[in-house]
Amino acid sequence: MNRRTFLKLASLSSVSFAAGCSPESPKHLYSLVQAPDNMVTGKATWYASTCRECPAGCGVIARNRESRAVKLEGNPLHPLNRGKLCMRGQAALQAVYHPDRLRSPLLREKDGFTPIGFEQARALLKEKAWAAARKGPDRVRLLTETVGESQTALFQTALRNWNSRPPLVYEPYAYEALKTANREVFGVDGLVSYRMDRADVLLSFGAEFLETWLSPVEYAWKFKAMHAAAGTHKGLFFLVGPLQTLTGANADYWLGCAPGSEAVVALGLVRRMLDLHRGRHLAPALRQALLQATDGHSQETVLKLSGIPLDGYERLVGRLAEAKLPLVLGCGSGLSDENGLRTNLAANLLNLVLDPELKLIDTARRHRVETAGRRVEVLELFKTIAAGGADLLLLNNVNPVFSLPPENGAASALDRPDLFVVSLTSFLDETAQRADLILPVKLPLETWDDYCGWSDVVSMIQPAMGALSQAPHLGDLFLEAGFEGEPPAPDFKAYLARRLQTQGRIRDELEWLRALQQGGVFPPTGPTIAGAAPLSLAQQLPAALATPYSPPSAAGLAFAAVPSVRLFDGRGANKPWLCEIPDPISRVAWQSPVRMHPDTAGARGLQSADIVTVRSHGGSLEAPVFVTEVVRPGLLVMETGQGHGAYGRYAEKVGANPFALLSAATHPGCGGPSSLLAEVTLESTGRRLKLANTDGSRTQHGRAFILTTTPAELLKGGPPAKTGLTMDNFPLTLPLPEGYDPKRDFYPPHDHDHYRWGMAVDLDRCIGCGACAAACYAENNIGIVGETRITQGREMAWLEIVRYHDERRMQRVMFMPMLCQHCDNAPCESVCPVYAPHHSAEGLNNQIYNRCIGTRFCSQNCPYKVRRFNWFDWEWPEPLNLQLNPDVTVRSKGVMEKCSFCIQRIKEARTRAKNENRPIREGEVLPACVQTCPTDALVFGNLMDKDSRVRRLCDDPRAYQAMGYLNTKPAVIYLKKVLHEV
Amino acid sequence: MTNLTFAQIDQTVLNTLERPRPRYWLFVALMLCGVLLGAAAWTYQIFTGIGVGGQNIPVAWGTYLINFVFWVGIAHSGTLISAILHLFRAGWRNPIARAAETMTVFAVCCAGLFPFIHLGRVWQVYYMLPIPTQRLLWPNFLSPLMFDVVAISTYLTVSSLFWYTGLVPDLAVVRDRSTGLRYKIFRVLSLGWTGTHHQWLNYSRGYLFFAALATPLVISVHSVVSWDFALALVPGWHTTIFAPYFVAGAIHSGLAMVLTLMIPLRRIFRYEAIITLNVLENVAKTMVLTGLIVGLAYGTEYFIAWYSHNAVEWESFRWRALGEYAYGLYFMIICNVLLPSLFLFKKVRRSIPWLFALSLVVNFGMWWERFVIIVGGVAHDFAPHAWGFYAPRLVEYCVMVGSFSLFFFLFLLFCKHLPSVSMTEMKETAHHAG
Repeated sequence: MNRRTFLKLASLSSVSFAAGCSPESPKHLYSLVQAPDNMVTGKATWYASTCRECPAGCGVIARNRESRAVKLEGNPLHPLNRGKLCMRGQAALQAVYHPDRLRSPLLREKDGFTPIGFEQARALLKEKAWAAARKGPDRVRLLTETVGESQTALFQTALRNWNSRPPLVYEPYAYEALKTANREVFGVDGLVSYRMDRADVLLSFGAEFLETWLSPVEYAWKFKAMHAAAGTHKGLFFLVGPLQTLTGANADYWLGCAPGSEAVVALGLVRRMLDLHRGRHLAPALRQALLQATDGHSQETVLKLSGIPLDGYERLVGRLAEAKLPLVLGCGSGLSDENGLRTNLAANLLNLVLDPELKLIDTARRHRVETAGRRVEVLELFKTIAAGGADLLLLNNVNPVFSLPPENGAASALDRPDLFVVSLTSFLDETAQRADLILPVKLPLETWDDYCGWSDVVSMIQPAMGALSQAPHLGDLFLEAGFEGEPPAPDFKAYLARRLQTQGRIRDELEWLRALQQGGVFPPTGPTIAGAAPLSLAQQLPAALATPYSPPSAAGLAFAAVPSVRLFDGRGANKPWLCEIPDPISRVAWQSPVRMHPDTAGARGLQSADIVTVRSHGGSLEAPVFVTEVVRPGLLVMETGQGHGAYGRYAEKVGANPFALLSAATHPGCGGPSSLLAEVTLESTGRRLKLANTDGSRTQHGRAFILTTTPAELLKGGPPAKTGLTMDNFPLTLPLPEGYDPKRDFYPPHDHDHYRWGMAVDLDRCIGCGACAAACYAENNIGIVGETRITQGREMAWLEIVRYHDERRMQRVMFMPMLCQHCDNAPCESVCPVYAPHHSAEGLNNQIYNRCIGTRFCSQNCPYKVRRFNWFDWEWPEPLNLQLNPDVTVRSKGVMEKCSFCIQRIKEARTRAKNENRPIREGEVLPACVQTCPTDALVFGNLMDKDSRVRRLCDDPRAYQAMGYLNTKPAVIYLKKVLHEV
Repeated sequence: MTNLTFAQIDQTVLNTLERPRPRYWLFVALMLCGVLLGAAAWTYQIFTGIGVGGQNIPVAWGTYLINFVFWVGIAHSGTLISAILHLFRAGWRNPIARAAETMTVFAVCCAGLFPFIHLGRVWQVYYMLPIPTQRLLWPNFLSPLMFDVVAISTYLTVSSLFWYTGLVPDLAVVRDRSTGLRYKIFRVLSLGWTGTHHQWLNYSRGYLFFAALATPLVISVHSVVSWDFALALVPGWHTTIFAPYFVAGAIHSGLAMVLTLMIPLRRIFRYEAIITLNVLENVAKTMVLTGLIVGLAYGTEYFIAWYSHNAVEWESFRWRALGEYAYGLYFMIICNVLLPSLFLFKKVRRSIPWLFALSLVVNFGMWWERFVIIVGGVAHDFAPHAWGFYAPRLVEYCVMVGSFSLFFFLFLLFCKHLPSVSMTEMKETAHHAG
């Protein structure tokens, strides 16, 4: 080798060595090696499917970006939820990407669980099932969550092949009392739906229809259809019950009654209505029997037993007697006790008395959750198992160990050594922990299925994203394991299509495709069908009504475990969004406080945040106190859902589980459990817990945040135009050039070209459900900070539902969505030294993250306190990061952020409009919160367009701006809440 | 005022520059440890996020800005004493002018650090500099924080130059009496001062101009700092009284810090003949005045809150007196107004223990005044649903210790290495007296 060659080689090798040592690892923006033909990078695809977070079955559309579902929205074509979703529906995505989701089957061995392959697990399941089947009848049992008809049919076939009885559907809230009452009064052994939207007076004995009861999104829009102020008219909603949950907080009148005394009030009302000559159409025998049965329910007795004030009762009687289309709902699933059946019976009878044709009760359109087994049947199953009556127990996504009172012995039944328990779940919850084999199956967003939230609707479930694991489809699993010979279909998708065809739901492939495209097969006439008349109306008094009222013992405290709007029966507890968004009433996140009246707390020297021990016959728990006026004295209330011993990092060791206190007994009349306990004891532990609450003051100290009005005031034509400079007398000043007044303004107005985005928030429509907040978390990659940091005031919500109690009547709760007001005179903009808050040409108050240096002056100067600061780099444990919206920046530590009016959606619409050479259309831009609001309380649009909805709402006599007198000229226009009384 | 001869003055001052005892170095090392602690805390904060402190929404500003305002306040009386009192020919300021000026320079340094420590992204702080770059963005000169950048940097520049100008003849004196390395260093520092008539003429004229130039800064700097608050909407901040209120408060706290520093200095360096009791008494008398102005400001704030009929403002002030942070208000009223009024008694004014104790009390009270304003304002502002509380956390305490350590570290180094009393001005005083 000569010198030249040496130098050549040396330089070549050093260059190639250096080139190989790039300081950064290669970055792949997209992991798809071969993209599908129709996939355009950066362009979203939408798949219609069905939400399976609760048995309601709302239609969803999933936004798929680069094969990952990144956002769920309600399916606008779906008649049940009409394009809306609740916060649990929004959070369904977080189950798919949950960091603690099981990636492989787990087989129990001597020293705990061992991961095994899916093939092995499937073979094991098949082997165990057939071995059990050969032993004799009913050796295989299946306990499932509520599933669709096709899945149920497949379950039944497989179980029949295994020589066993059909599956049992387990729901912690199975509406046994309501089903029994419907059978006795309407002759329908199931759960009818209600045409609440047509009612003029609504009376509820506690049904939580805005939170979890039957179908909350459906009843939210139906409720506001009757209850929102339309001109000067507004429907009436009475609540009779011992507490206000979110639903109760929306009542015009809350008649607080003693726990369990709703039945007395209901029967008293039946009597009064009969006395007022309603119910003349009833069969004479029934009428006579009713008069007899309600004999002891004079007004005095009712008031004495229930503790309802006279004037409230009189008002209720008066309004009910005058009502044209009243609707009465029974007691809530969280308040059902031994009197619950009587309450529901009386409520149904009251409907019958008030409306001979039962126009508001749709017996043909039934809620799917009616397939749920009664609690007695479930307990019977566990008893059978405990006695060795089965060899194989299949559990499909149910968690009875958590949601049954411990005395029911579900845990010990599962622990039986000769029983092989297979848990078909993706999460290691309390029940799965006791299984012998955990076989994860695909979650609804990745699978094929159908579901019918309403009996006359087929709602399709199809994979909305690529698979994240090798888990099989639930249906495929049963097709494989349930048939010894050739299965009826090669896979569940084919089974489903064939079954829908044989059922006549679809005719051909075109209809199949259309069903997938639209999300299902919906009744052609749209949202309502002509409901069949009641099958057979009661001709005589239901026997259960005759059982005398057993007043709860006056000595002790009563305890109610109510289903949570956030976590439902506990299945939401592992989703960080649901944990992080605070409870609407207490504004406490991550914790499960026990609510009580100030008198109850005061008598025991307790204050909010004191930790107490609540003890019942069934068990005991420790929880912090939350004092609130919306609970009757003598009643303790806890929301269900927390207190998990397993179920992943977000659910474990958080809060307490009130199911543990409940009684193991069931009601003899309906076979349902009791979630209301007559007697518990309360002890202070002397310790305190810092509550993770996001609110400051519970009242607004007379400030112009939530303003209210009355129908009478609206009738007078609204208040005169305001011209002053004070808080109560400041004109509505639109964030437009016309809002400029040289007397008030120092700087000239902003010029906007074509668009000035704004939002109208109708406080009369807002029910405080928090769906908007969840949608905002999902859309905008908002960080989850956890319990400790919320106690330090570091929550990141861009949109929060502010809850205020009325200073004049603390029992009245009011809600207000609070988000960046996108002021025209934005106080944040002028104080930033580096122009990070920037006023855009379209009026948006943009926050430029890259520009922000973190002085936090903008937040200090914001009178609405809607700005959020990234105190740290927030974490999205893998694979939760796959849910992040690729159109929205993930903010790093040290920068300020806040609501952007979903600017990514505005930009998308603008690009589309530009390509089509037209202006952006009205309604084309829907921020995530506006899109999901079940009651259409939020309206977004262009304020420069005089015909836009949002602009027309600015002329509403109820329109005002929050703290408008600061002359910030907010672009969020609130409409006053309409109260029936002040 | 003083009966010392020129030689005695030189000797007294130069005696302080002798080789220090080990105990001195022990204190210096202790202060250095404090500085390192603060630096470590800041480093940790930069890497973890500003959330290691206790700030939150609504109280997004915490002890960092409290300390910022506190140190800017301390920085005030140096220039007041050296510039304004110089122009007023108040001879009693001469013995303490040098130390007070030094205190000013070091306090501004400490203060200037805090806006940096406070930032969420300090590594991007150059966005605030008005440099034309391809970023095509210009800082927002409407923002009070930009006023701050300008005001504080101007103040630091002017007060440092003023301080150094005054030092030059003294540096030459030290140079003339020293040998070896010290001689070499002071030869450079004294800028070739020979004491010619021509030099003295230029020097005294220059010093006078500097004094005139620095005088408006005394007013402007803390006025600008007050506008950080007064130009915001926040109830309790948005008042026109803030500029004079802050300036008076700043001088009040600065004078207290002068006493805190001078009393030990006088004793250790045996300056009793130079910094006489009369000088200290005059400082105390001035503090009576500033204390009363501050008290008037407290009262005016309450009066206006009531008189304005502004429900938000009134609630804010009601809560200030009765709410969770009420103790802060009482600290500041007692420590800044009531206790300094004891200086009305001659016995108190002329008692070294009383002077020292009350100077500490005022420093404490002035810190709490800033707490009440900065934290109390936003903790209870327009949006009741967002009301919240703030408590400092460990990292913030470490940084606070670091900033006090830095101040005393620098001051300790100064006392033993530079003439802590202006020999020139003392001689001038002696000459006029003689």
